[in-house]
Amino acid sequence: MKFKKGLSMAAGVSLIVAAGCGNDNNAADGGNGEENNGGNNGETTTLSVWAMGEEGNALGSFVESFENEHENIEVNVQAIPWDNAHDSLLTAVASGDGPDVLQLGTTWVAEFAGAGAFLDLSDYEDDYDMINNDDFFEGALDTTYYNDAIYGVPWYVDTRVLFYRTDILEEHGYEEPPQNWEEMLEVSRELADRGDGMFGFDIDQNDQLVPPIFAWQNGWEFNEEEAEENFADPAFREAMDYYHTYFAEGLVQETEGVPIEQGFEEGSKPMFTSGPWMINIIRNEAPDIDGDWDVAMFPGNERNASAIGGSHLSVFAKTENPEEALEFISYMSEPETQIEWFKETNTLPARQSAWDDEELQQDEKLAVFGDQLEEAVAPPVLSQWENIAQDLLSSLERINRGGADLDEELDNFQQQAANRLD
Amino acid sequence: MNHKNALTPWLFIGPAVLLLIMFSLLPILVSLLISFTDIDLIGLGNWDMVEFVAFENFIALFQDPLFHRSIFNTLVYVSIGVPLVIICSLSVALMLNYMSNKLFSFFRVLFYVPSITNIVAIAVVWGFLYNMDVGLFNFIINSLGLQNVPWLEHPFMAKISLIILAVWKGIGINMLIYLAALQSIPRSFYEAADIDGANKFQKLRYITIPSLSYATFFVTVTTLIGWLQFFEEPFVMTGGGPLDGTMSMALFIYERGFQYNEFGYAAAASLILFIFIIVATLIQFTFNKSKEN
Repeated sequence: MKFKKGLSMAAGVSLIVAAGCGNDNNAADGGNGEENNGGNNGETTTLSVWAMGEEGNALGSFVESFENEHENIEVNVQAIPWDNAHDSLLTAVASGDGPDVLQLGTTWVAEFAGAGAFLDLSDYEDDYDMINNDDFFEGALDTTYYNDAIYGVPWYVDTRVLFYRTDILEEHGYEEPPQNWEEMLEVSRELADRGDGMFGFDIDQNDQLVPPIFAWQNGWEFNEEEAEENFADPAFREAMDYYHTYFAEGLVQETEGVPIEQGFEEGSKPMFTSGPWMINIIRNEAPDIDGDWDVAMFPGNERNASAIGGSHLSVFAKTENPEEALEFISYMSEPETQIEWFKETNTLPARQSAWDDEELQQDEKLAVFGDQLEEAVAPPVLSQWENIAQDLLSSLERINRGGADLDEELDNFQQQAANRLD
Repeated sequence: MNHKNALTPWLFIGPAVLLLIMFSLLPILVSLLISFTDIDLIGLGNWDMVEFVAFENFIALFQDPLFHRSIFNTLVYVSIGVPLVIICSLSVALMLNYMSNKLFSFFRVLFYVPSITNIVAIAVVWGFLYNMDVGLFNFIINSLGLQNVPWLEHPFMAKISLIILAVWKGIGINMLIYLAALQSIPRSFYEAADIDGANKFQKLRYITIPSLSYATFFVTVTTLIGWLQFFEEPFVMTGGGPLDGTMSMALFIYERGFQYNEFGYAAAASLILFIFIIVATLIQFTFNKSKEN
């Protein structure tokens, strides 16, 4: 998961691998198990589940209700910090010794599925309703496919929306948030004009998703057969020019500056884009501006596109308990469970019917995320994508900060992409 | 030596040799081998997919502008950082050796603390200090009426900033080595010099510094090796940016190997770094030998 990586990297390096086991529910479980021994020929399967970050910490106690329903399955949750997740998966693939079920960031599908780390779920499609179910957001389902196989079931999703300061925009005569690129630039220019150290918008230059989001907003689509020719598409080039405009005109801060929460609170960065986790961060860290900010769809050109992220649940290829693993995933993807999980962790349900729940309906800020998810596009599921996206960021950095020529640099980038895809 | 004890020496060195083979020699051999293959994540899971590619990795490396950049940056780090560490730690040691009361032992601790502090904690604090807009350094510079310094925002300045940080962190341990060496210089040398009427500078020039040549050699070799593998500072502070200005060879290897899973390519790069280090160390050894003669 690229989203949170930068944020937690510094802190994470020092983290000791806290393999916090979440099954402090043994006592209750043991009792139940014994009672039902007669019905279940007494064999208990232990299902090992890897979950990352906050989700890992919460899942341990959450699975109790699943264990109560399935007396013969005991779930052993291992919480893995995001910063160790990639290495842990790598080790599991190399040694063949992994969990039964694991949480998988949507951006890692191609990389690990290509290495044969996961079970192809299309063989089980007829027996399990949740596999390839179109009740999931389309963007989430898209990232479960790789090479005509299905390698996961969406668990939760996230997407970027526009966060903006209603009071500051109103002061400058904007009652509504910007709706498209033109208005975005207009508002940004107006707000950046407030003086030294004031900006209109904010772009995280290490965020791999912003450039493709702009391209999607401009009607660009990545077509695998066209390979590097995708990056010659005028829609793509125009979007990169749009990206560059923010830097060329000083509408966003080029240097590190203050953390975005602080800039947003001070008003020096009155607009930025981020995911659902930011709502609580701002509520907690900037209580003074409560009521003076809101979220809106990410304004686009052709369409208000954004990127979809989140996590899937996948079955490890070398598991000995595929049926139990699928049973567990099936439980986790039921709409009711998804709503419960949302209440527990505030992560957004991947299943569209879960969004009919009252609590999700009533929260206006969440509703924006719901709308945005319908317009959210998934990054291409391609093992070279990570490299290409990073190359693109480097090229854009050379354009924005190194003064390189936009077209020339993007031609170079296209050439680089050709080598990568070769 | 009789027959019965022929095995004894082997038993003594056995454990150490075994550990060395398992954890040092074998990994080096393996990385040498995989530097000639195209092993990646897929190959790791399924060895049939690994192919022998001869020198392709090395050819690609020599054409990779980012690798050139990382070599250049590493050379900058080494050529500025190593002399700076030696000069600074020697001066600090000389000053701390001047007296030995409570105040001086307190300063000794003070200078040593940075080297035992967690690099991540350092990075967080220095990251704020170096912040171009809200950092303490620029605040001080501003109040002196000078322009903001782009500490971590300019490719060359960022290198200098990381060197300052690493020197600050590296002084402690080398200072300790120098202090120990200083205290082992016989007093009689200085007494003799006093009788001859040598002044302070002459004593430093003709007694102290020559007596420290072994310590200096040791410090130079270890510091040079450490700086050729410059990694932690750019990894936690800048991630190699801005504009790849702080990308070091070790960071390049790490990113290729563990972020992009190009194990073969990374192994090839680490082999080149290995050669760099061996050559640099050999040069120093021969230089030291010729000086002794």
